[in-house]
Amino acid sequence: MSRIQVSGTRLAGTGFTGTGFTGTLPLLRHAIRLDRWKLLPWLLIFGAIPAATYAAYGSIFTSPAEAMLLQATLSTNPAFTLLFGPAAELTTAIGFVTWRVQMFSMFFVALMAVYAVTRHTRAAEDSGQAELVDSGVVGQHARLASAVLLAWLASAAVGLLVGGTLASAGAPPSGAFALGALLAGMGVAFAGVAAVTAQLGSAARTANTLAVSVLGISYLLRGLGDTLADAGWLLWTNPMGWAERIRPATDNNFWPLALLAAAGALLTVVAAWLRSRRDFGLGFIPGRPGPAQGRAGIWGLTSRLDRGAFWTWGVSLVALGSVYGLVTSTMATIFADNPFIKQMIAFRVATEEQLLMAFVGVLLLVLTLISGAFGIHLALHFYAEEEERRAEWVLSAPLSRLGYFTPTVVLAILAPAVGLMAGALALAAGAKATGSAADTGTVLLQALAQLPALWLATAVALALVGLAPRLGGLAWLLLVYWLLLTMFGPVLKLPDWLLNTSPFHVVPNVSAPDADWSPVWWTLAIAAVLLVSALAGYRRRDLVCT
Amino acid sequence: MSAAVSIAGLVKSFGGFRALDGLDLDVREGEVHGFLGPNGAGKSTTLRILLGLLRADSGRVEILGGDPWRDVVPLHRRIAYVPGDVSLWPSLTGGEAIDLLGRLRGGLDRKLRAELLEAFELDPSKRGHAYSKGNRQKVAIVAALSSNAELLILDEPTAGLDPLMEAIFREEIRRQRARGRSVLLSSHILAEVEALSDRISIIRRGKVVETASLEQMRRHVRTNVTATLSDGAAPLGGLPSVDDLRIEGRRVRFSVDDGSLAAAMGALALHGLSALTVTPPSLEDLFLQHYGERLHPEDADDAEGRRPE
Repeated sequence: MSRIQVSGTRLAGTGFTGTGFTGTLPLLRHAIRLDRWKLLPWLLIFGAIPAATYAAYGSIFTSPAEAMLLQATLSTNPAFTLLFGPAAELTTAIGFVTWRVQMFSMFFVALMAVYAVTRHTRAAEDSGQAELVDSGVVGQHARLASAVLLAWLASAAVGLLVGGTLASAGAPPSGAFALGALLAGMGVAFAGVAAVTAQLGSAARTANTLAVSVLGISYLLRGLGDTLADAGWLLWTNPMGWAERIRPATDNNFWPLALLAAAGALLTVVAAWLRSRRDFGLGFIPGRPGPAQGRAGIWGLTSRLDRGAFWTWGVSLVALGSVYGLVTSTMATIFADNPFIKQMIAFRVATEEQLLMAFVGVLLLVLTLISGAFGIHLALHFYAEEEERRAEWVLSAPLSRLGYFTPTVVLAILAPAVGLMAGALALAAGAKATGSAADTGTVLLQALAQLPALWLATAVALALVGLAPRLGGLAWLLLVYWLLLTMFGPVLKLPDWLLNTSPFHVVPNVSAPDADWSPVWWTLAIAAVLLVSALAGYRRRDLVCT
Repeated sequence: MSAAVSIAGLVKSFGGFRALDGLDLDVREGEVHGFLGPNGAGKSTTLRILLGLLRADSGRVEILGGDPWRDVVPLHRRIAYVPGDVSLWPSLTGGEAIDLLGRLRGGLDRKLRAELLEAFELDPSKRGHAYSKGNRQKVAIVAALSSNAELLILDEPTAGLDPLMEAIFREEIRRQRARGRSVLLSSHILAEVEALSDRISIIRRGKVVETASLEQMRRHVRTNVTATLSDGAAPLGGLPSVDDLRIEGRRVRFSVDDGSLAAAMGALALHGLSALTVTPPSLEDLFLQHYGERLHPEDADDAEGRRPE
């Protein structure tokens, strides 16, 4: 506290004053108390997953040769590098853990930090809580400082937990704490990003969207930096690239951590400066007044409420599809360079087209999973209307339950499908533009084959909304389960019956001559049954009134 | 007179909690009916069953001659609702929200809409997240009042309105009654219900414990008086129906029923009345006096000692 005040007097010209931080520590204590149940699950998951993966390493690979083979497979497939980062070192347990967890964990630590900062700055202003607190003995920077400190503490806790549990499980401490530092650094940097976006947006949702967009762009830039030839410099353009440069288990290079911490601190100072130049409750992106009259009915309302999501997810899918398309062209080089693959083609075990489509299939799978997340988001957004008590008001008008629910059901079925096909088209176009042999028709057919899996994910969420809305979050859990199973299940050699519980796994490779389409029809049938029960359930159940 | 709302023996449970426990309620056509009770007594649950948002476990519920669960669409053409604690769409303007509700019910009275916006001083071009609680409430009130519905169901409609706006709201409700509309007005504030209602039903723990006209209800309620007298303590003890008399130097406090208020004032005037506060009985007082019970469970121990035999 006293240290902050000393530096505060020095920085008086930038809006800091000696008393600007009064009340920071009580606010921080209050924030920790409010958030302990929100943050604890994140911390426990972060603590448990790396150590559990570490412990499982011995049972996954029976010999070092197997690990080498996996590393060879993964590092020759840029789709995997793009998604999960380079598989630099799979022959040691800590290297394997790094590859498995780093990309997902970086994403989630950053989200944790972003949500924590927004919750205690912009969201508190939105709800009026902040007004109550700020009228007390609280300096002008105290709220922002306490929110950022909370996120930093949580990020540091994640880092220490990951490092500590891994080290105590027997990993070399340098690698264990390098992985911890990578995650903590991401949290610290993105707390700074969120501090700035909280000043820009005039509502919590805008602030979160802006910060998460920065995260998404970082992920893409770092992915391109990892996969495209001569694009390594892209890793220096964004926090996720810096964090990746720590390279746990291989380089254990700690100095990018300083870069991340400096970015977090600098952004926070910028945020404080912006904060002192705006009015309470307002942002730099002003909330404009709108039309005094409206013409929307229930279809208009639904499309209006989901319009933002449609463009956000749609643009993300097309952007990701284009990037994937560019990466596809590198496959030809890999086929040419890899003697093993050359042999497979020579012996007609597989055609080059089939191998290419297997690779494109992985990319499309990611697009499908993202579209599935979009569908779940739309379904649960409908339930949020109920939780926030707007559904109650709308349903007091002459509108049947089916009349209210149907637009959402139609939109949740169509919009993610349109998004997926647009992403697939972008992928095919990108591949064509860079001279890949991938056939546009086949790519689109492969995407079509994956549509029912996406619809099943959406239908599960809709059925939960119709039958047991309080359990809506289970749809996310199921999607994450399917994602992990489909992405890592085959690599971990899980039994077929288990793999087949994922609708994303059973999709056939459409370029294979013996492609079996029956799972696609089964998936479609189950999704249809779920949809009918969703509608029937919503018609019969009590509205959830809070 | 026929009934706008007719409920008998209504039961509704949430899990193990019995929110409504054999509730009876009748709202006559053309009347403003106050639905009075403490928070958590079951007011909102009753209204939501009347709107077909919740399904009754048992009991008979009829609204405008129909079944609220089965006949949702035709019934709702004739009903308008103001929810308690209105929540608006952050990205839609207040005007768009009003017109959405209007369009869903097949049109609203544009002229009335404009008049109401002006009367309530509501800016319809603001986005939902920019409205204060009181202004959100006004959006729902304007949407309901400009709808030409036969029956208005209002759940604590004035929460968050300032006194001036509350007065305008009361005036609008009186106008609605003059047009022959029926109003079911829930509230936990006695004064609000008192100012508007023809009849009042008191709900307590999921049951209507009393339905009466205002005059009948008045007999139960006692007014609290605090006075400062220049002559020192007055011999008020002898007056009929003065109760809870406390004398602190030159200040006296007591409660009195409406019938004896004039006599008590006369007595005070004779003893050099220099300051006077007359507080109308709150719902809290009514419950204390009438049921010998506090509204808040944390005070329950205290209430046990006061319960009349």
